[in-house]
Amino acid sequence: MIEIKDLHKSYKMGSNSLHVLKGINFTVEDGELVAIMGSSGSGKSTLLNILGMLDGADSGEYTLDGVPIKNLSETKAAEYRNKFLGFVFQSFNLINYKSALENVALPLYYQKVPRKERQEKAMQYLDRVGLKPWANHLPSELSGGQKQRVAIARAMAAEPKVLLADEPTGALDSTTSYEVMDLIQKINDDGNTILVVTHEEDIAHMCKRIVHLKDGIIVEDKKIEQVRAGQYV
Amino acid sequence: MFDRDIWQEIFHSIKNNKLRTFLTGFSVAWAIFILVMLLGSVNGMKNGFTGQFADDANNSIIIRTGSTSIAYAGFEADRRIQLRNDDVEYISKSFPKDVEYITPIMNKGASTRYKSETGSYTIRAVNPEHLFIDKTKITEGRYINDNDLYKSAKVAVIGKRIVEDLYKKDSALGSFLEVNGLPFKVVGIFEEDGRDDNAERTIFAPITTMQRIYGQTDEVNQISLTYNPNFDLTEALNFSERIENLLKRRHKVAPDDQAAVRVFNYAQFFSDISNFTSGMGMMSIIVGALILLAGVVGIGNIMVFIIKERTKEIGVRKALGAKPWQIIKLVLLESVFTTVLAGFLGMLFASLILAAIGPNIDTPAFSNPSVSISTVLTATIILVVSGVLAGLIPSIKAANVKPIVALSDK
Repeated sequence: MIEIKDLHKSYKMGSNSLHVLKGINFTVEDGELVAIMGSSGSGKSTLLNILGMLDGADSGEYTLDGVPIKNLSETKAAEYRNKFLGFVFQSFNLINYKSALENVALPLYYQKVPRKERQEKAMQYLDRVGLKPWANHLPSELSGGQKQRVAIARAMAAEPKVLLADEPTGALDSTTSYEVMDLIQKINDDGNTILVVTHEEDIAHMCKRIVHLKDGIIVEDKKIEQVRAGQYV
Repeated sequence: MFDRDIWQEIFHSIKNNKLRTFLTGFSVAWAIFILVMLLGSVNGMKNGFTGQFADDANNSIIIRTGSTSIAYAGFEADRRIQLRNDDVEYISKSFPKDVEYITPIMNKGASTRYKSETGSYTIRAVNPEHLFIDKTKITEGRYINDNDLYKSAKVAVIGKRIVEDLYKKDSALGSFLEVNGLPFKVVGIFEEDGRDDNAERTIFAPITTMQRIYGQTDEVNQISLTYNPNFDLTEALNFSERIENLLKRRHKVAPDDQAAVRVFNYAQFFSDISNFTSGMGMMSIIVGALILLAGVVGIGNIMVFIIKERTKEIGVRKALGAKPWQIIKLVLLESVFTTVLAGFLGMLFASLILAAIGPNIDTPAFSNPSVSISTVLTATIILVVSGVLAGLIPSIKAANVKPIVALSDK
């Protein structure tokens, strides 16, 4: 699904150049649930941004579902993001004046799905995260866990190839964190490929594979025995 | 453009920022209001000027004389030039194809009495062709005819106001009116289209009658004529110049003497007025456009602010797959919508005011200020263009928002 070869990225800081990713080689198969771990400054967010086509790499190859991702125009990048990727952010990033349903329907709007079909599909995904009764609530009327579930429903609504979650539990307490991880595991059980960036050990162990980043290189990449979040809920 | 979701978002954005939208909208509404009022006023000035002369044929020329200001052909300066009956004949014979109607005119004060009612008016001696030059409207009876002229009959055609002043209940037509002590038979009553009330306080009489009463003279105060109505402005001005040269030669006046022979051409006057008012119109548009520019900058400013405020949202939209053009469209439509809506309100308000008070204003220099459909259309186009201009820079700025920057939680 994802293939990365010798990926480099550096940021210019005045006259200095900060080398963040120093040759990343990394493959993700279809249906995997991968945790990317590392302390802050290890380059994990930069990697996720490049994977999410929010940022470009300096050198190296990136292939997503057989499509080479290189020198994309803004419009093309937007199209690929919409088609291939679903994003879940630490701070949810819901649009605060749109109801839960409208938020979930937004990526479908950019896919030019007709209004009625969009509403139905969005409702279906809201139902899957257990928030159907909250469909017409604004984000401000939802709890943190509920917001993140809406965000996950939104990321899934576009039926992406890969779900990218950047610290999805970072702003949640442990109980709600496990609820969210339970949801992510269930989505993974349905065969979806998911990448989770986290710095929490327990969250990482709820994935099937952990990739450790340190100073811009992968220091460890191991398959693990998955801890089911369901038992804590 | 007619996407329901986009409009929902625009309405939402406006609803959430009522005061802000109102304040910026107000500047645009105010600018358009001023523009429309200015253009309406220019229209009012035009109506006022042209309305004053609505009672005269606008292809007419008036010839008057004075004293020479330059010594010429052996004569000293300050010689009085007098028009006479044969000047009228001379002009019509010199330009048989160009002159349409021509009349000599002699004006006198007229102390007038009917029974016990008296009034002070002007008696204007003319020939029958004056009817067409002055566009006099006969409401009762007839105008002066060739027979009156031939017989030097003491007949009079009087204005409506005189009838109102002097005749209480009696019928004016057929009565005898005493003018400067002599009885004139009233054969007709007239009305004028122009706004000048005094035009209807005139008594018309045959020129021959008046010349006989006032000392068997053939003197004339003024000659009025109309020329071929198919003349364009150049031909018309050229024609009045030819008349002027002809009369100057005939009366031995220096060609550059401005005082002795004066030929006044309405065509010149109308062309001056229309040049003047179209100049004023241009100036109004420029002034209005400059004021509008301030409003547009205001809206642009607010849009930049809105973009700043919504940076994160725009980042999220881009992460979810919004293309740059879709972001531009969102911002641009909001700005065009605000501009056009505000502009229309300003335009509506100004038009209502003009429609309400316009018809009540009727003075010689200013009458019925109003706006035409073309003004409204022009203003609308200006509005849409300004809306686009106001939104352009902010929307491009919005489209360039980097999702990675917008989404960083720092």
